[in-house]
Amino acid sequence: MTPRARGLTLLQAQRWAGTLTAAFGFLACAVSGEMGPAMTAFFPLAVAGAAVAGRRFQGRVQWGWTVLLAGALLVLGVQVFAGQIDIILAAALFAELLCIHRLWHRRTERDELLLLLLALLLLCAGAALSAEVTFGVAFLGFAVSGTWALALTHLRFAIEEGRGPAGSAALLNSRRVATPALLGGLAALAFFGIAGAALIFLAFPRVTIGGLRRASRPAPIAGLGDRVDLSRHGTVADDPRVVLRVRLDPAPHGEPRDLAMHWRARTLSQWTGHGWRSPDGGLIPVLRLPQRPPRGRGVRSVLSGDIEVVGQFTDGVVFTPEGWPLAVDFRQPGTPQPAGRRLYRNAAGDLFYQPVDGGDVRYSVVADTGRLRGRGQRYPPWVEADLAVPASLDARVRALAQRLGGGKDPADAAAAIARWLATALRYTRDLPGDVTDPIADFLFVRRAGHCELFSSAMVLMLRSLGIPARNVTGYFGGRRTDAGYYAVRAGDAHSWVEAYFPDAGYVRFDPTPASARGSRQEGFQARMVLLWDSLQQRWRAFVVDYDLVSQAQAMRRIGQLLHETGRRLAGKDGSAGQLRRMIAAAGGVLVTAAVIAWLRRLRGRARKGHERELTADQRRAAALWRGARRLLSRAGVEIAVGTTAGELARRVPVAAGLVRAYAAARWGGRRLPPRVVRATLRELRSGLRASAGRDI
Amino acid sequence: MTPAWKRRLSFTRMGRWYTGLTIGIGLAATNTGNNLLFLVLGLLLASIIVSGILSEQSLRGVRVERRLPSVATAGQPALIGLQARNGKRRAPSFSLEIRERGGDVAGHGFLVLLPAAQSAEVAYRFVPRRRGLHRFEQIEVATRAPFGLFEKSRPMDSPAELVVFPREVPAPPLIARTLARDGERPEDRIGLGLEVHSLRDHRPGEDARSVHWRSSARAGRLIAVDREQERRKRVCVVLDQRRLRGEALERAVEHAAALVSRELDGGAEVSLALAGAFLPAGSGEAQRYAALRLLALLGPGGDGLGAPEPDAEGVVLEVRG
Repeated sequence: MTPRARGLTLLQAQRWAGTLTAAFGFLACAVSGEMGPAMTAFFPLAVAGAAVAGRRFQGRVQWGWTVLLAGALLVLGVQVFAGQIDIILAAALFAELLCIHRLWHRRTERDELLLLLLALLLLCAGAALSAEVTFGVAFLGFAVSGTWALALTHLRFAIEEGRGPAGSAALLNSRRVATPALLGGLAALAFFGIAGAALIFLAFPRVTIGGLRRASRPAPIAGLGDRVDLSRHGTVADDPRVVLRVRLDPAPHGEPRDLAMHWRARTLSQWTGHGWRSPDGGLIPVLRLPQRPPRGRGVRSVLSGDIEVVGQFTDGVVFTPEGWPLAVDFRQPGTPQPAGRRLYRNAAGDLFYQPVDGGDVRYSVVADTGRLRGRGQRYPPWVEADLAVPASLDARVRALAQRLGGGKDPADAAAAIARWLATALRYTRDLPGDVTDPIADFLFVRRAGHCELFSSAMVLMLRSLGIPARNVTGYFGGRRTDAGYYAVRAGDAHSWVEAYFPDAGYVRFDPTPASARGSRQEGFQARMVLLWDSLQQRWRAFVVDYDLVSQAQAMRRIGQLLHETGRRLAGKDGSAGQLRRMIAAAGGVLVTAAVIAWLRRLRGRARKGHERELTADQRRAAALWRGARRLLSRAGVEIAVGTTAGELARRVPVAAGLVRAYAAARWGGRRLPPRVVRATLRELRSGLRASAGRDI
Repeated sequence: MTPAWKRRLSFTRMGRWYTGLTIGIGLAATNTGNNLLFLVLGLLLASIIVSGILSEQSLRGVRVERRLPSVATAGQPALIGLQARNGKRRAPSFSLEIRERGGDVAGHGFLVLLPAAQSAEVAYRFVPRRRGLHRFEQIEVATRAPFGLFEKSRPMDSPAELVVFPREVPAPPLIARTLARDGERPEDRIGLGLEVHSLRDHRPGEDARSVHWRSSARAGRLIAVDREQERRKRVCVVLDQRRLRGEALERAVEHAAALVSRELDGGAEVSLALAGAFLPAGSGEAQRYAALRLLALLGPGGDGLGAPEPDAEGVVLEVRG
C-alpha cells in the first residue's frame, strides 16, 4: 500500500494562504488598539468559524450578510458624521466586516481575489492607524503570506481554467504541489519583494502634499497622579514598560549602563493626613521660564535633554532632568511646531503642556545643573505653603527632627536628615497598609518603607524645623539601550524632596537609600521590554520618521561614499595606483568573459536546435559530415541538402570510409575520437586529390 | 518574421485592481507623508517588478512545435498537439498557456510546469466546421505567473496548413449489394481467380491443388484446372461542380466523398472525375487520401474548366447537386 503523502493539498494551501493574508491585514489594524475589543475579538472568532463551518454556509443566508453589512455601513457613516470616529477607522472596520464576509463565502476566483484586495486595504488602514513596530511585524507576515496567496490562487485557477473542473481535481487535491520547497521558494520571493520595497521606500521621493494627515490617538491609560496615599496595601510592583526615552547632551561621563538621574514630574506639597496632594490653583501659560536665582558659588553647567514621553504616561506633565529648567522646546529639528501645544506652570512651578492628546511627546529641556547650598532662613511669602506642618504630626517626629537638624544651617540640617533616613532605615517595597499615621509607623514602628515614605518623612521633619520643603514625584534612573538612548521605565517611579533656600531656590534631597532608588530591573521580561522598545525606536527612526530631510541625508551619504571611493581611486599614492590596476584588470577579465560567453551563445544558437542534445561523438560525426561537404564542394562536387549518407557513398566512392565512420558514430552509438575525424578527413582529401581529373 | 524579443503585456482583472490600488496608495502616501504607506507602496511596486522578471524568465527559452493530425474530417474532433521544450538549462517555466494566434484555428493548452531542459506536450481538441484548407499562423506562449496580475505573451511564427476532409455522410443508395464478391469481375484469361477458365492435363510437379478431382475421376487421369483471371470492380465517381455553389456544392462534395469511401471499402478501384481534375483509378488508403484531399480542396469551378471525363472502363457513379 502506498503511504499517503503528508502536507497540504494545493487547494488547502491556497485557502490557508488567503486566510493568513487576511489575518495579517487585520493584525496590522488591530495593533493600533483603535478597533475596539469587540471588533478585535470578532475577527479571530469569525476566522475560526469559517474554518470549521464555512463550507456548510457558503452561499447561504446572503440576505443576512447584506443586511448586516448595510447596517454596519449605516452605523459607521452616522458615527463618522457625528465625529465619534474618523473615516479611516470607519473604513478599517467596514473592511474587516467585508473581509469576514468573504472568508465565509469563498467559492470563485473573484471571491479569493476580493479577499486579498480587502486584506490589502486592511493593511493600508493599519498603516494609517498605527505607527508601531508591531505594524512592521504584520507587514512582514503580510508580505510572505500575500505572496503565497497570490501565487497559489493564480496557480489554482489557472489549473482549473486550463484543465477544466474534472481534469484539475486530481492536481488540486494532490499533496505533491504545495510542497515545503514551493512554499519556501515563494517565501524567498517574498523577501526579494521586501528588499525591493525597502529600496523603493528609501528612494521614493518624499514630496508630501500634506492633506488628510491623520494623527495617532492612543488614549492615556496611566499617568502621574496629583495625589499620593501612603496607606496603601500590597507591594510596589516592578513595571518594565518604558516611560521616557532620553538622550542627553553632553552624554553622561563614561556612558554608564544605568543613569543616576532624577526626572522631575510634579510637586505634592499639601499633606492630607495619609499622604500628599498637589497644590491648589490652575495653570498659568508660560511665556518665559523664570530665571534662576543668582548664585554666589557653584559650577555652572548646562545639560540638554531630548526627552520623549510615551503617550500613555504623559498626563500633561513636562519631565525635567536635575537642575533648574531654563528652556523647554517642543519643536524638533526639521519639523514644524506641534499645533497648539503650549507650556504651562502651576503655583508650585511644575511644568505642564496642553493640550494633552495622548500621543507621545518629545521636547528638549535645557537645565542648569550647578549645585547650590542654603542662604539663611528669610523666606519669601509664596513658600508658606511648604512650611505647613500638620497639627496631627506625631511629637516623636518633631523630636527626631530637632535631634538631627536643630540649630544647624538649613542646608546642613537637610543633609543630616537625609543622611540619617538613608542609613538608619531600611527600604522595602511592601506597603504599610491601613495605618493611622503612616509617617510615625515608618519612622518608629516598621523602620522600613518605600521612597514615598522616606521623602514624606523628610519633608515633614524639615517643615517642623521651619525649613520650606515639598514632596516631588518623578522617576529615577535610566537604562542605556542598543538604540543609543536611555530608557526610563514605569518601575523607576520615585519620590524625593525639594527644600527651599533663599536666593537659591528649591534644592533636591533624596533620603531614599541610593541602592534602592529606581527599579534597576534585570529580569527576562524587563530585558525583552527594553529590546522591544529599542526595536520600536529604530523602526520609528528609520521607517516612520523617514522624511525628505532623512532622504536627502541618506542620498548625500551614499554620494559621499561614492565620492570618497572615487577620491581614493584617484589618489596619487602607490596603493591607489595598484588598486586602480587591479580594478582595471578585473574589469578586463569580466568584459572578456562576457564577450566569450556571448560568442558561445551566438554559436550555440546558430547550430541546429537538436544538435545541442547530441552526445560528443554524435556532434563530432555531424562535424565530420560538414567537413566532408566542404571538401567535396571545393573539389567541385556539390552535395544537395537532404542527400543521405548512402547516396553520397554511392556517388563518391572515395567517401565510403567516411560515410561508414559517420553512420556508425551518428546512428550506431560508436565512438568517434577527434583524431579519427581528422584522419578520415585527411583520407578523403587525399582520395579526392588522387581522383582529380577523373569524373567522380 | 516575429522577433524573439517581442512581447505582449495585458492586465488581468486582478492586475487592474492591483495597479489601481497601487496608484491610490501612492497618492495617499504622497498626500499624507505616511511612511508606512510608502512601505506598502514599495511592496506593491516591488511585487510588480518581481512579477515582470519572473514572467519573462518563464517565457524565455521556450520553443513550441505544433503536431498536426494526419487526417481531419469536418464535424469530427481532431487532436492538435503542442510540443513545448524549455531550452533553459536551470530555470523551469511555470504556468504556460500555449495557444494559436491568427490563422483559422483557435485552441490552447496549459502547462503547469515545464522543467528545465525538458519537453512536454499538450493537446487541444479542434472540431473543424468546414472542409478545406485550414491555415495556422502563430503560436503564442503566454504566462500569468507568478501572481496572475499581468499576462505576458510571446508570439512565435509557426505557419502550417491542415487539409480537412469533407464531412462524413451516408452514401446515397445506388446499387443493392448482395454478393460478397461484388467488387470483382472475370477478365476472360487465365489467372488467379476463383471461376473455372478451362481444363487440361496435369503436368508433373504442378501444385496438387490445381487438380480437378471430379474430372480426373471421370477421365481416369489427372486433370488440372486453370482459373479465370479476375479484376476488381472499377468505379468512377463523377462530380461536375461547375454549376454548384454554396450548400449544394458542399452536399455534392460530401456525397462524392461518401461514394468514394463506400466503393473503396467494398474493394473497388475508384477513380474521381471532376471538372478540371481527374484522379486515376486506384484502391487502398492512399487512393482514399488522394480522393478525399482532392474533394476537400474542391472549389466552385467556373465555365473555363472542362467537363469531367469519366473513366471509360469503370462504372460511372455521377453525383448531382
